[in-house]
Amino acid sequence: MFTQDDFEQLIKNYNEDLLYLLIRASEQSYECLISSFMMLKDLYNAIIKFQASGKFMFRILPYPLSFRANDDLLRTMGFNEEGIRNIYGFLEFVKQTQGKEFEECLEDSVYNLCKRTPGDQPWRMKS
Amino acid sequence: MANEKLSGLLERNIEKITETWMQAVRNDARIDSDEALSRYELRDHVPAIMEEICELLRANEIPDPTNTLEGRVKVYLRFQQGYRGRELAREVSLLRMIMLDFLVDHCADPSMQVSLKGYYSSSRIINLYMDEILINAISAYSEAV
Repeated sequence: MFTQDDFEQLIKNYNEDLLYLLIRASEQSYECLISSFMMLKDLYNAIIKFQASGKFMFRILPYPLSFRANDDLLRTMGFNEEGIRNIYGFLEFVKQTQGKEFEECLEDSVYNLCKRTPGDQPWRMKS
Repeated sequence: MANEKLSGLLERNIEKITETWMQAVRNDARIDSDEALSRYELRDHVPAIMEEICELLRANEIPDPTNTLEGRVKVYLRFQQGYRGRELAREVSLLRMIMLDFLVDHCADPSMQVSLKGYYSSSRIINLYMDEILINAISAYSEAV
């Protein structure tokens, strides 16, 4: 059975994973980062749906999943000015390589990702 | 259709509405926690919240826990900034009222051609969005340790 402790462990894992991805972005390690964010978004949605079910409590708060112009949020997570600049640089990188905003990419199929430029073919499994 | 029109109207006036809201927060005697915040910190995530609301209006989408991400940022930040829960609720209430007042002022202009039903549809999405923020805030303030 999924318990409150399991729920809290899930939030802790999510928080660690998000922080890790943001650290990568802050160090300009952008390659294929968006697909990782996409999977993390699914986990975030699962967490808030679990919580919204009324069966679990937010004794640990999950980090909110958004970068939209929020220096304050990134500062509370421990990033300095250069790191924050690089994280916003990731949003620019996404726009250049995917041809659309980061938030739009999160809604898209994972198969459309990992392109270096908007004109590249999406990654597919060999059949 | 009305939602799309009103979404565009809100989007073009995000800065103006944010300014009005900041003034209202600073003038509200029931909110003390804002005194410690800089102008930038007070402004916080309000433009992003309005952008997200505009997207929901355009898509005619009902706010739920998964599409109100920017509202969650606000709750998280205010909680971390040491805001009291009731003051956050007051801030949200002011934002709700300022957005609805803004819309009703414009919808009252016949050239806008927005019916009461059209206004209601948009105001319902705005209200549900603000309710999602409050539900999340109640969780954070009452459950987090």
